[in-house]
Amino acid sequence: MSAEAAAAPAAAKTGGWEPKIVAFCCNWCSYGGADSAGMGRFQQPASTRIIRVMCSGRIDPLHVFNAFLEGADAVLVTGCHIGDCHYVNGNDKTKIKYKYLENVARELGIEKERLQLNWISASEGEKFANFIRDVTAQIKKLGPSPLKPEGVA
Amino acid sequence: MQKSEMYVGWSTKEDVRKRGGSGGLVTSMLAAALEKKLVDAVVVLKKINEFEAVPIITSDVNEVLNSAGSLHSVPSNFAKLIANRNLKVALPAKGCDVRGIIEQGKRNAINLDNTFIVGLNCGGSMHPVVTREMLEVMYKLKPEDVHGEEIEKGKLIFETKDGKEHAITIDELEEKGYGRRESCRYCTIKVPNNSDIACGNWGVTGDLVGKATFVEINSEKGAKLLQNAIDAGYVQVQKPDEKGIAMRAKIKGVMEDLGKKWKGKVFVPIDNGRLEYFRKELEHCIDCGACKAVCPTCSCGDVSKCTEYHFRGDAYKMSMYHLVRFLHLADACIGCGQCSDVCPVDIPLTRLYRRFANPVQEQLKYEPGMDMRKPPYFEVKLNE
Amino acid sequence: MSDIKGTENKGAVAKDNEEKRVGVFVCECGVNIGGVVNTKAVADYIGTLPGVKVTSVNKFTCSDSGQADIQQKIKEHNLNRVVVAACSPKTHEPTFRACIEQMGLNQYFLEFVNIRDHCSWIHMWEKEKATEKAKDLIRMGVERSKLLEPLQASEVPVTDKALVIGAGVAGMQSALDLADMGFQVYLVEKEPSIGGRMARFDKVFPTNDCSICILGPKMVEVARNKNIKIMSYSEVKAVEGYVGNFNVKVEHKPRYLDVAKCTGCAKCSEVCPVEVPYDFNEGFGTRKAIYVPFPQAVPLRAVLDKENCISCKACAKACQSGAINYDMQTSYTDINVGVIVGAVGFKTYDPEPRHDFGYGLYDNVITAMEFERLLNAAGPTGGHVVRPSDCKEPIRVGFVNCVGSRDKATNIYCSGVCCMVTIKNAQLLKEKRPETDHTIMYIDIRTPFRGYEESYNRSRALGVKFLRGRPVEVKEDPVTKNIKVRVEDTLANEIRNLEFDLIVLATGIVPHEGINQIQQLLKLSKAADGLLMEAHPKLKPVDTTIDGVFLAGVASGPKDIPYAVSQGSACAGRATILLKNKKAITEGITAVVNPEVCVGCQVCIPMCPFQAIKMDETPYLNTGIKKANVVKALCKGCGTCVTACPTGALEQSHFKNNQLLAQIKNVFKFQEVAA
Repeated sequence: MSAEAAAAPAAAKTGGWEPKIVAFCCNWCSYGGADSAGMGRFQQPASTRIIRVMCSGRIDPLHVFNAFLEGADAVLVTGCHIGDCHYVNGNDKTKIKYKYLENVARELGIEKERLQLNWISASEGEKFANFIRDVTAQIKKLGPSPLKPEGVA
Repeated sequence: MQKSEMYVGWSTKEDVRKRGGSGGLVTSMLAAALEKKLVDAVVVLKKINEFEAVPIITSDVNEVLNSAGSLHSVPSNFAKLIANRNLKVALPAKGCDVRGIIEQGKRNAINLDNTFIVGLNCGGSMHPVVTREMLEVMYKLKPEDVHGEEIEKGKLIFETKDGKEHAITIDELEEKGYGRRESCRYCTIKVPNNSDIACGNWGVTGDLVGKATFVEINSEKGAKLLQNAIDAGYVQVQKPDEKGIAMRAKIKGVMEDLGKKWKGKVFVPIDNGRLEYFRKELEHCIDCGACKAVCPTCSCGDVSKCTEYHFRGDAYKMSMYHLVRFLHLADACIGCGQCSDVCPVDIPLTRLYRRFANPVQEQLKYEPGMDMRKPPYFEVKLNE
Repeated sequence: MSDIKGTENKGAVAKDNEEKRVGVFVCECGVNIGGVVNTKAVADYIGTLPGVKVTSVNKFTCSDSGQADIQQKIKEHNLNRVVVAACSPKTHEPTFRACIEQMGLNQYFLEFVNIRDHCSWIHMWEKEKATEKAKDLIRMGVERSKLLEPLQASEVPVTDKALVIGAGVAGMQSALDLADMGFQVYLVEKEPSIGGRMARFDKVFPTNDCSICILGPKMVEVARNKNIKIMSYSEVKAVEGYVGNFNVKVEHKPRYLDVAKCTGCAKCSEVCPVEVPYDFNEGFGTRKAIYVPFPQAVPLRAVLDKENCISCKACAKACQSGAINYDMQTSYTDINVGVIVGAVGFKTYDPEPRHDFGYGLYDNVITAMEFERLLNAAGPTGGHVVRPSDCKEPIRVGFVNCVGSRDKATNIYCSGVCCMVTIKNAQLLKEKRPETDHTIMYIDIRTPFRGYEESYNRSRALGVKFLRGRPVEVKEDPVTKNIKVRVEDTLANEIRNLEFDLIVLATGIVPHEGINQIQQLLKLSKAADGLLMEAHPKLKPVDTTIDGVFLAGVASGPKDIPYAVSQGSACAGRATILLKNKKAITEGITAVVNPEVCVGCQVCIPMCPFQAIKMDETPYLNTGIKKANVVKALCKGCGTCVTACPTGALEQSHFKNNQLLAQIKNVFKFQEVAA
């Protein structure tokens, strides 16, 4: 068992506000990465809800914004490493589309920690877990998203 | 004739030349294109009064010849007018019109091979309602008495029916919130080199001032259009003098610099409370959809991603409709100002869209409507 | 003007008005889930959601009894949607799809929620939070399930012909197997003869058989097979279509002679005055401008190398069958095939540009492939290994392994075969000339398959020395042209200064220049190593992500001969499934265009890497606008075009906007704020 896993019981007791994070994962890489994190029992905060799409190219800014408007404290856009796309180059398109997203989010005043892009392969379970842990810690510092509607958890 | 050649020309038709602000070249060129079947239709403005005109698509040469006359307060954008009509058409176009037409071309709604774009130099246009108010408040004139208007040496001059001229500097007008539309102030496309042929009075010198038009050929189509008008006997041209060319370049430079200065003035970075700023600006939105309907770069029909997932009942802190539009326009907005013009609750939409479009377009080094380059998102090739 | 005020949620309202009757099955996966998540509490909560008619908790939902429970409840409660909350869909989605399909439900009416890998396993000490998260995840799944639509996998007919690209040993095997199963095969080879790299080897490890002696008969077998049409000196230039129906354009380079008349007698070569380095012999020795590629070539026909021809026409005079035709042009053949096997091969790493270990600077540093040709009885020296500087037979030979492999500066992967190549080469020379002295400098010796370790042992027994270490300095003695090597013997822990008459570099396997073109033509993916990607590294090693396209041999990673031959056969077997059934089942999850909404803006067209979106030829109804259309057999269902579509006319079935938004919205729940 990893060091993180062993340390988890102590962390669990601290409790406090748990952010809600929506992670979009592509079927072939990052979703598999999340599975690998499970198989490796890499413990993570219970902050994230994964939504599976076939390719990161399918992650529509529409969905990202909707997640924020519904109350997401952070939204993660994830996919295969560049060059490894199951559909040749869907993630290259994601990379550019993400630039638009990022700019619009930034201009709207959404902090950069709340919208993140990461390439995670199906074998990178530990990377996935570390990513979730890092983002959750960052968001805990920032507090709830300014776009979160009243009364939503 | 070929690309980047410059000429000074005028109409050979006496009445057109007299009525036209600058020798009636544009009108005659359009009429000749129709007459000689270079195109099947021409877009012209049909004047209702000094402040209002409607664009019409006509195949009647006389209607084209009778349309001459310039108005600074008709800011409509022609791109959507000719979209999805499959026309062989020639039309006059300000810089923003040209950009709209090119963007529609990229979206397969206009066949640019069949579209002859006569670009018009443009220092800015005015909103008709604002103009009327300005006449009363600033000029102390009755709008009905106004007969004509002109911009000269930084002054906006109105001529009344009694023959008198009334001048105020544009700077002073704009300081008081009148004058050109906001988007025109920070626009930097003053000579539309993205059109087939760019026309205007900048660079006309000597005796010809007010009686001729300076043209620059930007494409083969532009050359064809001018040559056709000359061959048909509608237009005469001569080479411009060096002084004129230099003068035109100087005015263009000054206007562009002014545009850039305005851009800095309008888009002051908001350090804190950006979300609140956008929420406040959008709070009166009544979801009428006029901004989308008028947008010359949008090619969607009634059903589109911005409308389909937007519900008035949602207790969202921002409108889904506007968010999707902000994103879709990030690489498409040409800053024409149409959305602000039509908004019934006076939301400065263009200003909002540009807030998002400016950084994206700068970062991606992509300016929509200037050439046929597709947005970078659509240019991802295999193995990149 | 479009008025968006009060717009109905057209996207979110499912078209059918059938009442959604959802059954939710929560799996405990033994203690994997049940030990962390309070499954009873979860089931109780989910039971309160609208539309949920029944919930059930099972120890193992995937077991026979678990599946029987699902089937029984479908019947009992007349369920039309099934949500299984268990492991990863990658593990058991197919299981449960089959399970509900047996009950007459469309298999796409299953929603699979991952509460093990994504929940219980990663929140082992936060039982309460894990339970809350499981509730959220299942709630998301329930709401999505209500919007799921039935999908049908579609069938396309398959032309019962195959194309094999590359006639090396893997491609030849594939072609032979397919032909023997009764299918017509086009075998396209870019060189003038089939045979590939194996035709150039002298002997093959570990048995040290003569390579051409075992390959030659196979080449003849290919030529004789009535079902195989060899297209040598030809290249694939265009591929259109999809599984079952590929239209392929093959370019035939001009040989400048009529292959029907040429007898391969090589009289033309005898009279040709032009001599150029002989590529078949790795540049050693010469060939003529008109030549037969090698004595065992198939087809045994000459080819005129126009680049070096001086148009003296001596060959035309010498040719007794009048085969020479200087005006021959490039020609093309269009073929239609149902499947494609890519066996496009490799090249060996070129140490010249980097001057690895002095290659290209010092005459007496050669590559293993060059050594191989020197060893060959039909090679430039008649089988005498000589060193290039003075044509003397070397006594002290040093071999350097892993050149261009296992090196961050070149390729990080292991080329797999070079250890055995070196062992074999040292053995062969030692056997021929026992007085020779061999030192193999290696990082690790890798001998994984049958007979390899034995061969390694035999080398040691013969007296071949193995030195673990990589030369750090290689210098030429300017007088003797001997090569002086400074190398750390990492086993003895000492620096050794050695002198050799000849150095042989075991150069690794790298993709050849043509691989990009093939990748683009077949729309394949490329791995980080530059070689082509298989559909799955373990379970689909010869399939690709493109239906009907298979990969054999080194193009998808380093392999030895038996491995490449097995892959050739494997491709033939996989392809036969399609060819024999005469139909292919294509993915049910595809993009779909709603022509009512499409405005024909064409932004989707460049988004598709598979060119699956075509514009209609005629305008839609009376709109005057040509609409986009998805060719289902080509669509792989990634959904990238759907994201790009500004109107929402494009939707990805099973991942529709409203289905994904239903998930997003149900991540959250509205909580009454306490007053």
